[in-house]
Amino acid sequence: MSAEESQEGLATVGLTKAFGGVTALDAATVSFQHGKVNALIGPNGSGKTTFFNCVTGMIRPDSGRATYRGRDITGKPPHRIARAGIGRSFQLCRVFPRMTVLDNLLVGARPGNLAAQLAGARKREEVERARGWLTRMGIEHLENAEARNLSWGQQKLLELAGVLMSDPDLILLDEPAGGVNPALIDRICDLVRELNAEGRTFLIVEHNMDMVMSLSDHVVVFDRGRPIAEGPPSVIQSDERVLGAYLGV
Amino acid sequence: MPRGSEALRRSGRFLRLGALLAGIAVALSFPSFVPSPYELTVGIAILNYAVLSTSWNFVGGFTGYISLGHGAFAGLGAYGTGLLVTKAELPSFAALFAAAALVAVLAVPVGYAALRVRGASFVIVSIALVLILLLVFQSWASFTGGSRGLVVPRPFPGMLRAEHHEVFYFLFLALLAVALLAWWIIDRSRFGMGLKAIREDEDKAQSLGTPTYTYKLVVFVVSATFTALAGGLYGLWFGDLDPVFQFSILSGSYMVLMALLGGVRHLYGPLLGAVIVGYGLEYSKVEYGDTPLHLVFAGLLLGVVVMFMPDGVIPAVTGLVARVFRTGETSIREVTAAELRAEREADAPDTPSERRTDDQPDGKREVRQ
Amino acid sequence: MPSASLVFQSIVLGVLLGGLYALLAAGLTLYFGVMRVVMIAHSAFLILAAYLAWYAHRELGVDPLLTLLVTVPLFFAVGVAMQRLLLTRLRPATLTMMSVLLTFSIALVIEGLLGYAFSGTQRRIRLGYSSASLEFFGARIAVVKLIAFGMAAAALLGLYLLMKRSRFGQALRATIQHREAAQLLGIDTDRIAGYGFGLGLATAAVGGTALALDTTIYPSLHWHWIGPLMAIIVVGGLGSVPGAAIAAMALGMTQSLLQLELSTTWAQTVFYVALFATLALRPQGLFGGRLAQRF
Repeated sequence: MSAEESQEGLATVGLTKAFGGVTALDAATVSFQHGKVNALIGPNGSGKTTFFNCVTGMIRPDSGRATYRGRDITGKPPHRIARAGIGRSFQLCRVFPRMTVLDNLLVGARPGNLAAQLAGARKREEVERARGWLTRMGIEHLENAEARNLSWGQQKLLELAGVLMSDPDLILLDEPAGGVNPALIDRICDLVRELNAEGRTFLIVEHNMDMVMSLSDHVVVFDRGRPIAEGPPSVIQSDERVLGAYLGV
Repeated sequence: MPRGSEALRRSGRFLRLGALLAGIAVALSFPSFVPSPYELTVGIAILNYAVLSTSWNFVGGFTGYISLGHGAFAGLGAYGTGLLVTKAELPSFAALFAAAALVAVLAVPVGYAALRVRGASFVIVSIALVLILLLVFQSWASFTGGSRGLVVPRPFPGMLRAEHHEVFYFLFLALLAVALLAWWIIDRSRFGMGLKAIREDEDKAQSLGTPTYTYKLVVFVVSATFTALAGGLYGLWFGDLDPVFQFSILSGSYMVLMALLGGVRHLYGPLLGAVIVGYGLEYSKVEYGDTPLHLVFAGLLLGVVVMFMPDGVIPAVTGLVARVFRTGETSIREVTAAELRAEREADAPDTPSERRTDDQPDGKREVRQ
Repeated sequence: MPSASLVFQSIVLGVLLGGLYALLAAGLTLYFGVMRVVMIAHSAFLILAAYLAWYAHRELGVDPLLTLLVTVPLFFAVGVAMQRLLLTRLRPATLTMMSVLLTFSIALVIEGLLGYAFSGTQRRIRLGYSSASLEFFGARIAVVKLIAFGMAAAALLGLYLLMKRSRFGQALRATIQHREAAQLLGIDTDRIAGYGFGLGLATAAVGGTALALDTTIYPSLHWHWIGPLMAIIVVGGLGSVPGAAIAAMALGMTQSLLQLELSTTWAQTVFYVALFATLALRPQGLFGGRLAQRF
């Protein structure tokens, strides 16, 4: 892979997905900047989550292509895409409710071969790595608690730790600030900045505009299943098409 | 208080080790203090149930996929062994392993069809498998003996009946030990972690890089193989096979009932359930004969377990013990996220384990793989 | 090679059988639509209704068709009660699997109670018109089969009109298609789901009476029905009523035609072959809409 290619991050060409008669993604051609914090915004029903689900393999697009760092990931199963270095969180936050916090993280660890598959799941270095992430999230004291007993905010942090455990280069966050108190939003923003500084790329779907504008380097606006504007936050904020899409003008 | 909990954990481990050794001692000495061979046959029947429900629990317990048709694999193991002995003239135990290997091979396409889509289709396929095999084995009388049954020659012709029972008691015990060991190894392995993640949230597990379909298929084949071994051993012991009993929905449902009653998340859950239900079955057979009321009781018990203690006896009892001894573990529950989730799901019973999305008219994912 | 008239007769018989399959499969589809429940006890209730018809005929001497006046409302009420009192209490996260076990346990209880009350003996209703048959275009068709088909067709038509024309039907369809949206429209989806369940069970009452007219019944007969019925709803695409009806007709006819060359039991394997083929090649079923894709 040439140096030039490796600068390219997640990109799609003509990505289309219809559900019954409703076109959720309409030939969306878009690319995101590698190494940056990207944001994907748009009114409800504009296709953001469908876009997430298509590029992570949860949904197979009807047509179009998705590539990551030059590699075709269109229609690949989700675990392959995860192993290609793309991690994601879910809207409304999903953890494994009846597993302990530590085990929630160990699911994300990658076994190498058959022997590693059958070896004990609590390998020392993996456990240490998991504890490291828990400490960073500030929930290390909950290591042995079942995930379902955590508070909403703690579950959000746990989900993020779980995604990080699989060591992705690109992290897709679906509404990280949804249902979270302001103090925790600040905390999540700090974490995103730190992790970005450590070299991880982010793509964030979010409705909280303050968060989007303060956090992101590059913003893409979706309307009716396709991008209508993109650029740095300052430009997007004053773009008429964006205002139109949001206000329904 | 980390020190206190450490001591507690250590004493718990000793307690468990002690219980395990006591259990092994009882199991090994059982044949030497039974009053008559009849009690030994009850012991064998219970061990057979225990192997079957432990085998079922490889799929049911780890992945949460409920198979009502595991009786089919037991029946195939039994008939496979019987037919390989009678038609191919293989030695008894070679036939047993060959039959189990054949069942493992057959389980691959069955699993392929059953596991591609989630949930309901799996149950439907599992039931259909039993029904179709019953039809085939009844109709294909020239090969299987049909409704007249199939007589399997005994592996040790010169042996007295009591001795014969004793040998099979230990064979079943050994098979149970192997099945439990395999379950334990998977339970604590990376592979088992992935399987349990599938049970909790299959999409999420896949998004974290777990090849869920392969995992499910592998554990399904393992489960079918152990079930076939149990069925084959039963065939060699009992010596007479009838398709109606071998391919019955009921035998599969007993496996589910036992595992569920004991607790599917626990290594010894199915064994415990097998002891309770198996003993009840054998006892009532003697006391009341073969009446249709068996079905009623099995049905009621299954219904009660499903409604009131879907996690089984073991968690119910340990929960009780924990409450009595109040270990002083403080609750970490600040906001009850679990309740939040339950509320959310109650609002949307339509899509229980699905993401609810604002901009996606259809939350379902495409069938894949 | 069977004669043309024999083939024609088989086709007619296949259609008649397919009608009954279609009605019962519609019931299963309803449960699945409103609750995502695979109702294993459906065919056990079918046999229960058949026994009730047989029993009423033997004890009271009434025509089996009259028992519908009792069994249909009774089964409707039982269906509503089952949904309200049992199924809604299961954890939503494990509903699909646990409801299978729950309805399975109900099937066992019904089979056991039938065996206890009426023994395992095979039973059959003898009516004045049992042996009558009609002949058209060289095919001999028993009158009772025509009556059974007429009942199934009438019930299906009634169900169709109820779903398409009535306010209740509208609410039911809305609940099936998008529960949250239905709630936003002010529909009490829990109550509607209960009624949907009752309606599903009512199809078993009609089907059971139709079955009793020309079939020998015994307690464990329901296993011979649940397999084909479940194959039909998978082949048709889980949740699709027209899909289930078409699959029912097609498979019923295939079964009937195969019986010309094969034994009855071998002919029945067509359902399972179709089931496995569907899941291996097109898991969402032939007419599967959005519901089918995940289940």
